[in-house]
Amino acid sequence: MTRYFIRRLLFIIPTLLGVSIIVFLIRYLIPGDPARLVAGPDATLQDVEIIRAEYGLDRPLPVQYVSWLGNLMHGDLGRSTRMHRPVTEELGRAIPATIELTLAAIVIAVLVGMGAGIIAGVRRNSIFDYSSMVVALLGVCTPPFWLGLMLMLVFAVKLDLFPTVGRGGVDHLILPAVTLGVQAMAIIARVTRSSMLEVLNMDYIRTAYAKGLTAHAVIIRHAVKNAFIPVITVIGLEFGYLLAGAVVTETVFAYPGLGWLLVQSIAFRDYPVVQGALLLLAFQFAFVNLLVDVIYGFLDPRISYGTQ
Amino acid sequence: MKAIKFVSVLFLAVLLVGLTGVGCGGVGAPQPEKVITIGQYADGVSLDPQNTNDNASYSIEKPMLEGLLGFNEKMEQIPQLAEKWDASPDAKVFTFYLRKGVKFHDGTPFNAAAVKANFDRVRNPDNKLRRYTLFQQISQIDVVDEYTVKFTLSEPFGAMIATFAHPAGGINSPTAVAKLGKDYEKSPVGTGPYKFLEWVPGDHLTMVKNPDYWDPQNAAKVDKIIVKPVPEVGTRIAMLQKGDAQFLNNVVPAQADTVKGDTNLNLVANEAIYTFWIAMNTQKKPFDNVKVRQALNYAIDKDAIIKTLLRGYGKPADSPLAPRVWGYSSVKVYPYDPAKAKALLAEAGYPNGFKSVLRGGEATDAKEMMVALQSQLKQVGVEVEVKSLDAATLTAERFKPVAENNCEMEYAGWSPSTGDADWGIRPLLTKPNWPPTNFNIAFYTNPKVEDLVKAALGTSDPAKRKAAYAEAQQIIMEDAPWVFLYVNNTMGGSRSNVGGIAIQPDGIGFYRSVSYK
Repeated sequence: MTRYFIRRLLFIIPTLLGVSIIVFLIRYLIPGDPARLVAGPDATLQDVEIIRAEYGLDRPLPVQYVSWLGNLMHGDLGRSTRMHRPVTEELGRAIPATIELTLAAIVIAVLVGMGAGIIAGVRRNSIFDYSSMVVALLGVCTPPFWLGLMLMLVFAVKLDLFPTVGRGGVDHLILPAVTLGVQAMAIIARVTRSSMLEVLNMDYIRTAYAKGLTAHAVIIRHAVKNAFIPVITVIGLEFGYLLAGAVVTETVFAYPGLGWLLVQSIAFRDYPVVQGALLLLAFQFAFVNLLVDVIYGFLDPRISYGTQ
Repeated sequence: MKAIKFVSVLFLAVLLVGLTGVGCGGVGAPQPEKVITIGQYADGVSLDPQNTNDNASYSIEKPMLEGLLGFNEKMEQIPQLAEKWDASPDAKVFTFYLRKGVKFHDGTPFNAAAVKANFDRVRNPDNKLRRYTLFQQISQIDVVDEYTVKFTLSEPFGAMIATFAHPAGGINSPTAVAKLGKDYEKSPVGTGPYKFLEWVPGDHLTMVKNPDYWDPQNAAKVDKIIVKPVPEVGTRIAMLQKGDAQFLNNVVPAQADTVKGDTNLNLVANEAIYTFWIAMNTQKKPFDNVKVRQALNYAIDKDAIIKTLLRGYGKPADSPLAPRVWGYSSVKVYPYDPAKAKALLAEAGYPNGFKSVLRGGEATDAKEMMVALQSQLKQVGVEVEVKSLDAATLTAERFKPVAENNCEMEYAGWSPSTGDADWGIRPLLTKPNWPPTNFNIAFYTNPKVEDLVKAALGTSDPAKRKAAYAEAQQIIMEDAPWVFLYVNNTMGGSRSNVGGIAIQPDGIGFYRSVSYK
């Protein structure tokens, strides 16, 4: 298992290399001059050239790439062309905010989604089942932009229960986490329900009841554990997606996270930040998938990695 | 069923935990401290005026850093750290008589040596500061005595006084600059009514009252100003309605009614120095014919656009410059006359109109504007395809040199950040400023205008400069390289119990005199 884990971890490195090359190549394809964008339309050509030279943007692309790679080995991701600050500092500030928001969203999504999915699966075709699945459908379809603003208007402005924007204590986290988590919650609920239905039909469940176990023990100790496997896949994928996809929520709630930073950097062609952020996201995604696979190994004794 | 009960309880527990978040954090006894929170559309990038080229950063710097001169909320030049000044008639030597008894926030005395150190820093190309070119014509700075400083330029530049009033002329404490080096731009030290406390980029910036400010009449009226970056305008409005912010920079015309309709809120509209227009590529057919260009000017119903899209907050452009720009003179508004437009087009050889492409930005109000313009142009037979491009692509396209440039009709606006006619005309309407050098996307040139602009820079006599610019504006309106559209308003939103705060005509926040009524 450990060898498997380490091997998978090492495979992430060529993946990241590939991602960084692609991002560098995109500069050839996308119009937009980082130096001019930073200087503004107000600036003279001379101003623009000064900025270009300062960031080494006048060198040929392959040279810039090799230089960037070399700096990466020293842990230096370069400096943001837009913000004048080291990329590591920009990312270092944005990441905790995004992780905080994503974890909160996932916790809400898993607890509420799985809870609803389990009950819906056990109480199949009941009112709870139908209504919760309709709510789940609405959750998937609702644009987070609209939902975020609506929640803000109702709970923060009209009812004055939460603050409107920014990062701070738990109260600042609730509305954005709900906005972000709604879609994941809906998907998790549906997958949990289907998985529960499948498992509850299995022979070993009937055997468990026949043995005289209470419904409580059967469901919690046997059904959920087995139903969990497809659900954990979904949770892993959603987590990776949420880490990158929090852009809209972060914009609406002025939450200073990675998604917002990435979008702004793309708009300004702030390539050092874009490269750094995409590298980070690629790593996170690959790593989370790796963790999910490892957890499989623990959950399902039929699965084993490495040599027997 | 126990299992169901178990899961339901868990379900409810999550909900309850969520609700306990309500009201946590920030709850405490009411504070006697007066705090103003401002919701700004973007965070600052740098707090060093010499390394800044965005309005969001300037808005934050202005309460803390002052220049020899400044602008008031009407864009008029006012003395700040200089009490008076002289200019030589050939516009090459400028002498400033400084205010006495002023100290920087770190206690360093403000004097001629500090001014010299400040401007030597920005005009030194080795420091690679973003605002280098604004001050590069200074060839020498002399400390005449402790409170008199003399600037000598390498060539005449009549608009130099306006350059010193520009926010980039903010004066930094030389002690702080020497101590912090490259990190100075994260924690500035100036002479203003507020001083810097802390900055968590992306989250908030705090400045506090400077109790030793040199002008007790205009001292800080609140204890703390907090600026929060809030990119989404809907969110900013929610903040203001709730009271999480007391002022917004900014509000868009579409939100004007929401703010006005709420008795707790005020709309703070201020006539801007932005002129909006459609540049026509005068080097390409059919825009090389002045009759075509004038025809399009008659084809636009500016009053209708201002009334509907700007909600009445604007006025038709009667000059390439806005009225509050120093050197503006009113020439004429092209009246809305579609019949005349068609007649002119026919005279020019286009009786059935022609096809073209109108390009502009992606913002909702820009798109709405272009669609309105498109439908008005159609009435006179000119069919334009509207293209909305993202800022980076649009800029890249517009700054291509003339041989490769595809500009036909470009919807844009401009404000001369020095508030002076020179920066409102030269970068947009003279040949040395054809792209890629600067923003003359109409590729316009007229030898008489070039001479007048040069003459106006070659003297420091305000009367002579104004006369030159007046004549230039006249010629430009006749030549019509642009379809002249409108001058808009800067718009801020405030709580009704807050005053003394606005957005200047140049789009930079005017926060220093904010107070609770």
